[in-house]
Amino acid sequence: MVDLSQYLPILIFLGIALALSCLFVFLPMGVSRLTGSHNPTAEKLSEYECGFPAFEDPRSQFDVNFYLIAILFIIFDLEAAFLFPWAVSLDLTGWPGWITMMIFLFELIVGFAYAWKKGALEWE
Amino acid sequence: MDFGNYLALIAPELLISISGLVLLLVAAWVGDSAARPISILAALVLGVACFMVGPALFDGASGPDTNAFAGQFRADGFAAFAKMLIYLSGIACLMIAPAFFERLGAMRAEYPILILFSVLGTGIMVSSGNLITLYIGLELNSLAAYVLASFLRNDGRSAEAGLKYFILGALASGILLYGMSLVYGFTGTTDFTLIRAAMTLELSTGALFGLIFVLAGLAFKIAAVPFHMWTPDVYEGAPTPVTTFFASAPKVAAVALTVRVSLDAFGLQADAWRQIVIFAALASIVLGALGAIGQDNLKRLLAYSSINNVGFILIGLAAGTPQGASAVLVYLAIYVVMTIGSFVAILMLRDADGNYVENIRDIAGLSRAKPLIALILAGMMLSLAGLPPMFGFWGKFVVFQAAVQADLILLAALGIAASVIGAFYYLKVVKVMFFDEPAGVVQGRSETGHWVLLIGTAIIVSPLGYLLTIPLGLLADRAAVSLSLLP
Repeated sequence: MVDLSQYLPILIFLGIALALSCLFVFLPMGVSRLTGSHNPTAEKLSEYECGFPAFEDPRSQFDVNFYLIAILFIIFDLEAAFLFPWAVSLDLTGWPGWITMMIFLFELIVGFAYAWKKGALEWE
Repeated sequence: MDFGNYLALIAPELLISISGLVLLLVAAWVGDSAARPISILAALVLGVACFMVGPALFDGASGPDTNAFAGQFRADGFAAFAKMLIYLSGIACLMIAPAFFERLGAMRAEYPILILFSVLGTGIMVSSGNLITLYIGLELNSLAAYVLASFLRNDGRSAEAGLKYFILGALASGILLYGMSLVYGFTGTTDFTLIRAAMTLELSTGALFGLIFVLAGLAFKIAAVPFHMWTPDVYEGAPTPVTTFFASAPKVAAVALTVRVSLDAFGLQADAWRQIVIFAALASIVLGALGAIGQDNLKRLLAYSSINNVGFILIGLAAGTPQGASAVLVYLAIYVVMTIGSFVAILMLRDADGNYVENIRDIAGLSRAKPLIALILAGMMLSLAGLPPMFGFWGKFVVFQAAVQADLILLAALGIAASVIGAFYYLKVVKVMFFDEPAGVVQGRSETGHWVLLIGTAIIVSPLGYLLTIPLGLLADRAAVSLSLLP
């Protein structure tokens, strides 16, 4: 009798592959049952707060400004999240820690200057 | 070791990142009219970086002197070999891009900068000595690559390629991260050397799951079966210079990274990952060959061809010896040359209106309209198929040799048998170009830069390339030994 337990790794590997491919097929089917297109009512199809119409041609071009502002917000929000632990542990990290953070801030400033010059911060 | 030494070890990365940032500001202030000068400067930067990794490559640098930042970054000979390939293919992708995008009116100054950042990420990937460094390099490379894939943003196919690449790339990163967290949880460290030490004895089930998830995530990145499905769509949809880049630099980095993780971090559990690698290798060879048969788009065909070639590369990894790692490096070097040559040849095919020709039936009878391009493309196809007079044969030869010497004779035999399937569609392209009635679609002249690259790659792929076997093998051997495989 061959010891089949030695083939456990490959079984797990194929299991992951199978699970992922099933996910690709069945997840969109499942999700589409939960959205308005499956059981439409006037409320589900109406626009939510200040957003876009719920159903329209996905290839249409839309105003990218919302996304630019959101992405820039995330970047600088995370920068702040980095700054707090850095500030309270500066006595442990010392000068290397200080210099590293200054380099990080400088890189962010370069990106910020790029976004500013490209007009990402102007609404019109 | 102090910080001065560490900074000297990461000098190529420092150079690329600083020049990337400076060129970004130049791009913002001068605008798209500076796209060509910025491309040339970026190519120069990569050229200088080649010289910077040169000493480590020729000395086969290894040992503790090559570890920077407490082992998080390794500037050893193995990394230097992969970086040299990455930088050279980056230069090639910078050379072919301006003419392509200018014809479509879409050349932007950001293209060379994105290539620089992506190359920086791939360089960090191959040098990583720690799971965290690995992930940072991978994401730096991927984030730039997602934007590059949808660079022709008004083109529906390019946008689709970018979106698909982004979603599946994010999924792959998630799988990789999950595996890394399991490995960290069961070994208590993210350092490759310490993971290796922690996995000396028996492998716990949790750590086994971690190892498999890490390999699955990496299989996504190298496009090995069963995680290959994004490749044809992305390769077809992305602009051709970007496809050339995807098929060369990030592929080299992901394969080199897989080799390092498998042989270094998981090196003492070779039995656990070897069967996965063998399965992925054989499945990639067969599926890459069968999938390519029905294709009528040249870029899709080359995408399946890259899946097929990754299979052969993984046979070298399955050997699990320094010789196998050396064979992988040799194969990678030859594969990069063949890929760049084939894509450049496709890039040079345009119809009377200046549109790019991608369909196989449009290149029918190409040997009469464009004899030299047809000849070189045929040479590339024969080389990708691994037929003996061409240099591509040597790559397959060393890989199978390594497998046989590691007592994987059955695997080598199956691989050789399966490579016959692949020969069919390569030969079909040759037949269409030389023996079919001319379609008369391809016309127009090509740029000098494209000719230089095409002829350069053609000379290496031609039988003249065998002059390189000894130096290439020597460098690859040194690089493989520097992986420090001693238990």
